[in-house]
Formats: sequence, structure tokens, C-alpha cells
Amino acid sequence: MEELDLLKKDWKKNQDKFPRVSEKEIYAMLHKNSTSVVKWIFLISICEFAFFLALTLLLSDNSNTQMVESYLSQYAIYGITVIDYGIMVYFFCQFYINYKKITTTDQVKNLMANILKTRKTVSNYIFVKIGFVITLFIILFIIYFNNEPQILALRHDAEEHGKIAMLYLIYFAAVVIFIIVIAFVIWLFYKLIYGMLLKRLIKNYNELKKIDL
Amino acid sequence: MSSQLETSFVKQLQENQNLIHKICRLYTNSEDAHKDLFQEITIQLWKAFPQFRGDSKFTTWAYRVGLNTAITLYRKKTKTISTIEFDNKLHKIDQDEYNYEEEEHIKLLYQAVQQLNDIEKALVFMYLEDKDYSEIAETLGISEVNARVKMNRIKGKLKNILNP
Repeated sequence: MEELDLLKKDWKKNQDKFPRVSEKEIYAMLHKNSTSVVKWIFLISICEFAFFLALTLLLSDNSNTQMVESYLSQYAIYGITVIDYGIMVYFFCQFYINYKKITTTDQVKNLMANILKTRKTVSNYIFVKIGFVITLFIILFIIYFNNEPQILALRHDAEEHGKIAMLYLIYFAAVVIFIIVIAFVIWLFYKLIYGMLLKRLIKNYNELKKIDL
Repeated sequence: MSSQLETSFVKQLQENQNLIHKICRLYTNSEDAHKDLFQEITIQLWKAFPQFRGDSKFTTWAYRVGLNTAITLYRKKTKTISTIEFDNKLHKIDQDEYNYEEEEHIKLLYQAVQQLNDIEKALVFMYLEDKDYSEIAETLGISEVNARVKMNRIKGKLKNILNP
């Protein structure tokens, strides 16, 4: 007899021998908290959207921001604000639509795909947002470099001493290092949280995909 | 206060709880983990219950949700150390039909199944439950032919684990 059929025989024989859970215990379970990955993904995603919304709102009142904004025209500021919120609303809607598609009565593979898709929407949002911020940053740095009186004085000084190349180098190195540090922190955050949360799911999803190759 | 929906759910779940125990049996290897997964499946079933229309059997519907929870949603709290005692407890032996050699072999078989990955366990589970390949394929979202091929590979893998 084949191994699995031997196991099946035993499986059937012993299927009533589990300790019974009473109705009362089941009632109690219904009111316990779920530890499901989907719940965590949902909570973390909401936090991410909230975090960026709060950041945008807080920064708009900041004196530094106002100083930076004084270099830009009113139209540019409107444009940036509209694009910024537009990106957020678009991704939030996508996130919500995908989240609604997650149902435990779906096929195993579809369920996994939908969870990963939902998660992907949020990380795409983060990447687009970061890309947007970095682009803005670079533009602002250039404007700042060419307009800020202190910098201009410094440039003038450096030119007189023949060290202008050095100044350019330091200034841009600082910008690049700043961007790299931010990118690294975000990457680390993603690795940690999603590595922990999604490692098993991704492994199982790949395993399932492999069967149909 | 419990609503009518809740009462009906609890009653059906209580009657069909073996199904969940069986999933827990394959996906966990300690008493605590078993209880933990049982609870999570119960919560997920309850959440999905309003969508259960009764056009399929409660058990067929519960299979889906149970397997999905075990494979996809459930997060193991801590790494549990395999306890053979728990296995023995589940595997109560009637003294009169005690057959030492066969019992030992079956115990080894369960341990071999424990070494399979989550997807392979799902296939084994449905096989043990006498599901046909079309249903196995439909549940997992793979093709029927590939479900068969995979099942044969699993049988081979189990043989290798048992006779290295």
C-alpha cells in the first residue's frame, strides 16, 4: 500500500479524536483579535498614508518651507500641491479597491496575488512620492544655489580664491549624501517590516506559481 | 448578546469543527499553535460568514477559508518546537488494535508530512480528505494536470524522507 494511502486510513480512523471545542469557547473566540497578515498590512498602509499626509500638512506651515517657497512662483506652488494630493488620492483609491478584493473564499493563488497587489500599491505610492520629493529637492537646491545671498557670497568668495570647483563638489556631495541616507532609511524600513510580514506569503506564492510553470 | 447569525454560525462550526482541527493538525506541531490557528480560522470564518449564502455546503466553504488562513493569513506567533508528545496525545491508540510496527510507521509518516512546505501540505490535506483533482486544482488556483504532477512528486518526496 502506498504511504499516503496508509496515512489516509489512519487519518479517517482518528478524525473524531480531537479534543472538542465547546460552543461557549467558540463564542469567546469570535471576539478575539485576529493576527492575520492582511490586518497588519491594512494598518501599516493606513499609517503610511497618514504619515505622508501629516508631513505635507506640517511642512506647509514651516518657516523654512515658506522661505523656499519665496523662490517659486505662486503658480508653481499650486501646481506642486495639486500634483502632490493628486498622487495621494489616486494611490489611496487604488489601495482601497485592491483591499476590497481580498477575500478568504477566493482561490489560494488569487488571494495571495490580491494581497501582494494591495501591498504593492502602497509601496508604489511611497516610491512615487519619494521620487517626487527628490525631484523637487534637486530643483530647489539648484534654485537655492543660484539665488540665496549667503551662498552667492560664498561662491563669490570661493571664485576669488580659485576654489569654486571645490565648493561645487562639496555642495553637490552634501546633496547626494543626503538623498542616499534618506533612501537607505526607507529601504531598511521596508526590508524589516515587509520582510517579516510577507516572507512566508511570498515564498508560498512563488511555490504555487512554480507548480504551473 | 448574540445575534441570530452568530448563533447559527457557532452551531454549524461546532458541528463541523473536526475539519478545522484537521487543518491545524497538518499546519502546526504543538498544542498551543494548534489552538492559536484554530482561533484564527474561526475568526476568519466568522468574518466571511455574512457572504456565505448556503448555496454550497458549510464544509466546502469552510475548507477554502480554513486553508487560506493556514497558508496565507496566519502568522505564527513564535517558532514552535515540535512536540512529539502532542502528536501522541492526538494519536490515541486503542489497546485491542495496537499494532506496534504500523503505529510507528504512521508516526513517521506524520513527521514526514510535517517537513513538507505549506503548499505541499495543502495538497496532502485535500488528498487525505478524498477531494478529487479538479477540486484541489480549483481551490489552489492551479491546473488539474499540474495538481496531479505535483501530487506524484510529493509522494516521491515523502518516500525520500522516509527512506533516505
